[in-house]
Amino acid sequence: MKRTLIAGSLVVLCVAILLADYAVANRQPFANRPAAEQKKVTAARLARKSRDNAVAWVLIAAAGAFLTFAKGQIKQPKPRAAGELRQAKAPGPHRSRTAAAAPELDLSFVEEMVSKIGRGKEAAIPLLQAIQNYYRYLPDDALRRLCELTDITPAEIAGTSSFYGRFRRSPMGEHIVRVCHGTACHVSGARQITEELRRFLAIPDGEDTDAARMFTLDEVACLGCCSLAPVLMVDGHTAGKLTPATACDALKVTA
Amino acid sequence: MKRRPVEIRIGLGSCGIASGAEAVRDALVRAGATVKAVGCNGMCYREPLVEVVEADGRVATYGNVTVEMARSIVRRRGWQAGYPLGPPAPQGHRIVLENCGIIDPLNIDDYLARDGYRALAMGLSPDAIIAAITESGLRGRGGAGFPAGRKWGLARAQASAVKYVICNGDEGDPGAFMDRLVLESDPHRVVEGLAIAAHAIGATEGYFYIRAEYPLAVRHTRAAIQQAEERGLLGHLHLEVREGAGAFVCGEETALIQSLEGKRGMPKLRPPYPVERGFRGQPTLINNVETLASVPWIIRHGAGAFAALGTGNSRGTKVFALAGKINRGGLIEVPMGMTIREVVEDIGGGIRNGRAFKAVQLGGPSGGCIPARLADTPIDYDALAETGAIMGSGGLVVLDDRDCMVDIARFFLKFTQSESCGKCTFCRIGTKRMLEILERLCEGKGRPDDLEKLETLADYVSRGSLCGLGQTAPNPVLTTLRYFRDEYEAHLHQRRCPAGRCPALIRYRVTANCIGCTLCAQACPVGAIAYRPYEKHEVDDQLCTRCDMCRQACQDDAIEVL
Repeated sequence: MKRTLIAGSLVVLCVAILLADYAVANRQPFANRPAAEQKKVTAARLARKSRDNAVAWVLIAAAGAFLTFAKGQIKQPKPRAAGELRQAKAPGPHRSRTAAAAPELDLSFVEEMVSKIGRGKEAAIPLLQAIQNYYRYLPDDALRRLCELTDITPAEIAGTSSFYGRFRRSPMGEHIVRVCHGTACHVSGARQITEELRRFLAIPDGEDTDAARMFTLDEVACLGCCSLAPVLMVDGHTAGKLTPATACDALKVTA
Repeated sequence: MKRRPVEIRIGLGSCGIASGAEAVRDALVRAGATVKAVGCNGMCYREPLVEVVEADGRVATYGNVTVEMARSIVRRRGWQAGYPLGPPAPQGHRIVLENCGIIDPLNIDDYLARDGYRALAMGLSPDAIIAAITESGLRGRGGAGFPAGRKWGLARAQASAVKYVICNGDEGDPGAFMDRLVLESDPHRVVEGLAIAAHAIGATEGYFYIRAEYPLAVRHTRAAIQQAEERGLLGHLHLEVREGAGAFVCGEETALIQSLEGKRGMPKLRPPYPVERGFRGQPTLINNVETLASVPWIIRHGAGAFAALGTGNSRGTKVFALAGKINRGGLIEVPMGMTIREVVEDIGGGIRNGRAFKAVQLGGPSGGCIPARLADTPIDYDALAETGAIMGSGGLVVLDDRDCMVDIARFFLKFTQSESCGKCTFCRIGTKRMLEILERLCEGKGRPDDLEKLETLADYVSRGSLCGLGQTAPNPVLTTLRYFRDEYEAHLHQRRCPAGRCPALIRYRVTANCIGCTLCAQACPVGAIAYRPYEKHEVDDQLCTRCDMCRQACQDDAIEVL
């Protein structure tokens, strides 16, 4: 990297000197001058010419060096640019939705659901499901409001919401990608699919959502489409008979 | 002009939709056909499926239909549409699946036209119904195989004024999808079965508990209940659908009741059994989807017809979800007593890509692996139990010689460990310790006494757990240890995975077959294969993540697994 920079700047410098000399040489007309002055100008010209010769050699060498170093760095192109899909989609109106929802949550939905489903303990799971479907996770404020409105205690809410796999306590990305890890999908390569998707979306280890918060990756037990294994589900759309490459293409249904 | 077909059916179950059946349906409609959207007839391996019914009753089935083929099918140009497939694979008797793929699940008239709700309308007395179910020999299809007639009789004998019936559609076994398909393709049948059960035991309220992963099944069941109520077929019975929230253990009946009550789905000590004290402390009858779907047929055709099928203590038919390395995956219904080999080879069409049949995994995380040499075992509750596996709910995953049995055991243990509710110490901690040992083995870091330790722990876990999940959790480990001990020993002593599956124990190498085409270098997601056209490629072992993509990309079979 450093060597490329040095060689590159040397090339630029040499070209600049040569251009400057050329400009100086063409500045004043040579004829109609006193002989003494003509001699001086000729000497200066000869000096410049020999210097330019040296500069030209340096330029050739520097250009050669620059090309060599730069080629070493460019190397082969990456087969698939990570996150290309994400970058294409990242800015957009829907991002502001998640951002705007965070500071102040509209809790009227919770009230509406409680009046519709009921306020007894038995309503806990249907209520949590409704909240999860609406907010796409279980926001703390919504759960607090739920406890105020119903007979369900905070301890019960905490217990139930952490027990069941479908409930999330943290916000999820714009789209949910459920990769099936059932038996049939496992033997057909579900691990490779998940690994490739993680790489493709550049999701860091230990996390399930990419940096732009577009895709949340979830491993689920079985989607029940075993004869199409391996399978994944993007939002409500199922895609089957995947390979790692087509799995990445399957995300495009969201675009 | 050619005569128009009587009807054109397209399978719009979950797997059909996933294969693009909706686009095909639209193409058929655009081409001027009147299309009936049906569920799935079980031939999932050929989705999208289009069936053309002629006036003389003949049915032509077209498989893997594309949008282009759809036009040709409507215009009756068979040779352009691809020839119709032969008749579906021999499947013995269709009892539970008799309407699947034939009727429109969202149209109650279709179901009524095929004797639907006739069993309910026959108005048998509760005692007559229970006698018929008992006599038919129907056993619970959810896995445990408890005689259904006896369960119903116990529920009826309870003196309580309020009783409940629950249909258990929390099909959590990975690799099983019978309940999804039945609920999606023929929901009225299950509604009728539940209504008959409610009538037999004297219940006035019923619930469907369906997995949330099956949105289509939930929708179809809700629609079916609404239609049946509008027609006044259900009388005073009130039915409701509840969605699960993603816990495998809720398939256990006491845990399911806890979940319905809004609590954490943790099993309770039995007795009292749910038929004595269940939902809201009242007598509750819980039956699996398939059990209830068999009921209308038994009532209509008589117990004798059902009992005539099958062997010994296992009567009637069983639905299996065939999946894995098999040519014709899908849903099948076979009479009890058929052998595993007949199912895999005759119905399933053998192993994919001509590989060797190694084992079948039966019964999901509670079941076990039956090796190919025991493939002549008949499918009945007792014979399967002898092998160490169980009948289970009907997931049948076929494994070939490239599947590592230690890895399969690790996969199931990982599942049961993460799904253990945590109530019983042996299940909570024991499965964790067993999983650690299996992970160690898969990484080639096994310790000399690991196999003995696995067996001891397996014994503790199955004896020290309250519910079926814990009691049967060691089954995948025990059966693979019993039939494939040599593979465990190879992992342990030689640090080698004979099937070439465990990432930590394998390496990829380019053989002399390489022609330097760079396909593998392009496919490699981590750049472990340098881009060198016309030279033999090399896999950088340090960078390689064992993702197998190079081997799949190679056209010359030049990448081998060591």
